[in-house]
Amino acid sequence: MNLRVLVVEDDAEIRALIQSSLSVEGFTVQTAVSLSEASALIRHDLPDILVLDLGLPDGDGLSLVQEVRKTQSLPILMVSARHQEAQKIQALDAGADDYLVKPFSVGELLARIRVALRHRGTALAAAVTTHTLDDLHIDLASRLVTVRGQTLHLTPTEFKLLARLVRSAGRVVTHRQLLGDVWGAEFTEHTHYLRLYMGQLRAKIEQDPAEPRHLLTETGVGYRLAVS
Amino acid sequence: MPVVLRWAHMKAPTPLSGQPWFPWLAVVALLSAATVSGSLLDNHVSLTSEAMLYVLVVVLASYTLEYLPSVVCAVAAVTAFNFFFVPPRWTFEVDSQEHLLALLVMLAVALLISHQSALLRRETRLAHLNALRATRVQELASQLANATRAADVLAAGQSAFNQAFAGPCMLALLPPDAAAPFAPDLPADVREGLQSCMRDAAALGPGTGRWPGLNAWYLPLGHADPMCGAVCIQNIAATDFAGRAHAQALCALLAQTLWRLRLSQEMQKSHAEAQHQQVQSTFLAAISHDLRTPLAAVVGAASALQTQGDKLSATEQARLLASIVSEASHLSSITENTLQLVQLTNAAQPPRRDWESMEEIVGAVLARLRVRDSTRRIQSKVPDGLPLIQVDAVLIAQLIANLLDNALKYSTDAIQLQVRLSDGAMQVCVKDRGHAIPLPLQQSIFEPYARNDQSGQRGAGLGLALGRAIASVHGGSLTLHPRRGGGNSFCFSLPLSAQQPAGEMP
Repeated sequence: MNLRVLVVEDDAEIRALIQSSLSVEGFTVQTAVSLSEASALIRHDLPDILVLDLGLPDGDGLSLVQEVRKTQSLPILMVSARHQEAQKIQALDAGADDYLVKPFSVGELLARIRVALRHRGTALAAAVTTHTLDDLHIDLASRLVTVRGQTLHLTPTEFKLLARLVRSAGRVVTHRQLLGDVWGAEFTEHTHYLRLYMGQLRAKIEQDPAEPRHLLTETGVGYRLAVS
Repeated sequence: MPVVLRWAHMKAPTPLSGQPWFPWLAVVALLSAATVSGSLLDNHVSLTSEAMLYVLVVVLASYTLEYLPSVVCAVAAVTAFNFFFVPPRWTFEVDSQEHLLALLVMLAVALLISHQSALLRRETRLAHLNALRATRVQELASQLANATRAADVLAAGQSAFNQAFAGPCMLALLPPDAAAPFAPDLPADVREGLQSCMRDAAALGPGTGRWPGLNAWYLPLGHADPMCGAVCIQNIAATDFAGRAHAQALCALLAQTLWRLRLSQEMQKSHAEAQHQQVQSTFLAAISHDLRTPLAAVVGAASALQTQGDKLSATEQARLLASIVSEASHLSSITENTLQLVQLTNAAQPPRRDWESMEEIVGAVLARLRVRDSTRRIQSKVPDGLPLIQVDAVLIAQLIANLLDNALKYSTDAIQLQVRLSDGAMQVCVKDRGHAIPLPLQQSIFEPYARNDQSGQRGAGLGLALGRAIASVHGGSLTLHPRRGGGNSFCFSLPLSAQQPAGEMP
């Protein structure tokens, strides 16, 4: 059976564009133009993936993310304009999986959906515990990280930080989520910890820390472990 | 410690001269001294010399004591002289006309001296007070010169009045200098007096000719237009002309400062307004040209594909599609820069600053730009161990991307991106080997929609204007220097925070 995607977008052109490009890739596409229509559709029949525009006529999409996340774990991909920085981060913190900034290319959209699907159901199936890209191998179970054949010595905090990114490999993880998961809920505003530890991790993992290949920065939002 | 000092001051014994009975004791002591020394010299000197002793005592009393004790001293001295020395002694009677005349003259001289020295003393005191008041006016003036808010003026004025008058003194400012003119706990009669004083722009109270029955002065700050506020000074004397002049001088000073503040605020507002207008109009100018051109290209290419798609070769179709994508992304970057510039120029809210790593920002920018830099012309040099900086990372990334974009567009050789520390600032430079920008253009290229047009390259001329705005909201600057050996070097520097973020790293 084809995977079903629900696209919530009020702009007719963009809605049609997303619909046609996803259909070509073999998805079954449903569309909605408002939050109320979307939540009615979701209640009626849960889709496999939700692509959600942040600026809709009846709200900013954040409320829908919160509502869906109460009970469902389907991948949620947000589409936002550049000026919606704050809402975007709020929605990610509320449990959305990833985001795209308008204007985006169809290639980007498909890549994000592929990553989101790979993580789908990880709550039920075995969690991601290994990661390999180019010369970097990470095995969380045996706490082994090797780069260019060399085993790395990471401090406990560095390892926790890297492990958090591995569990969401390919997806953006916000500053708040990283700080909360690695350091604890009371440290979610201490972004300087993150900067310093990411700097240390990059110095150990990256060939050129100033132009990272693995530990990517999403400026103003968070970090992403590259998967391809 | 101030509390202890005040306590000590209150508990310290009042000096002898401050006691209310001291002048009278002094009068008695002086007269006794004159009488005793007169009796001791009685057998050796004449009556005239004894009289002189009393005159000496009277003069001493008038120079050191208040008016009333010194007059009493004068009368008592004449009486005592009469009683103890003028024959017949030990009576108040006077036996000869000559002695009576001498006593009367002595009384007149004594009273005259007392009166004169009392006058002199009062004038000296007034001169001291005036000098003190002049100093206070000067102090207030220098305090007010640095005031930037009406609240500062209110505080300085209140303390000046409290210092000058026993009071209590109540100062009220009218909007827009204060949210509400009157404190809620202000007594109704004071409020009414202040209101009436501000409405008529005239002083009220004893000695002013208006409402003389009051126990307070109500003085306006400023004239009818602009009226800035008023002050109420309670417990004053109608005859204190110098005091009222002083209060009015303070009022004039406060009104002048408030007026100056209002003017400068209005000037700032209209300056911002003018700048806003200018940005708006340049934005409109840009829409008319810079947005239309890429739009025309997109529409042209798309409609060609639509109507002649099947007649065009595969390469031709691919070229048109590539042109649509590149023109549209160009449009998108113009829009982005314009919106950001308008937002920054309006500057309603300061940028969202956080602790950021320059290495990270540079890395993120390069990741985006390498798509257009397939031959890796950009060579970055970021030293290890840079301190963190407090900036809005999105804005700084946009600034670096704009500089690199320009360098890619206007030059063909290698481009250096360098980050370094100098003089408590972090400096980021983008250096190219393109044509040096001519001297007359070196300032104007930072204006919105200005561009070094000789290259024939397309751009909206917004990148540098936005870059300068971004650097300046971060307290830094963006400058251009021609490079030795040809090319341009665009550098911006951001001040480093004096302190790195605190907190042990868990």
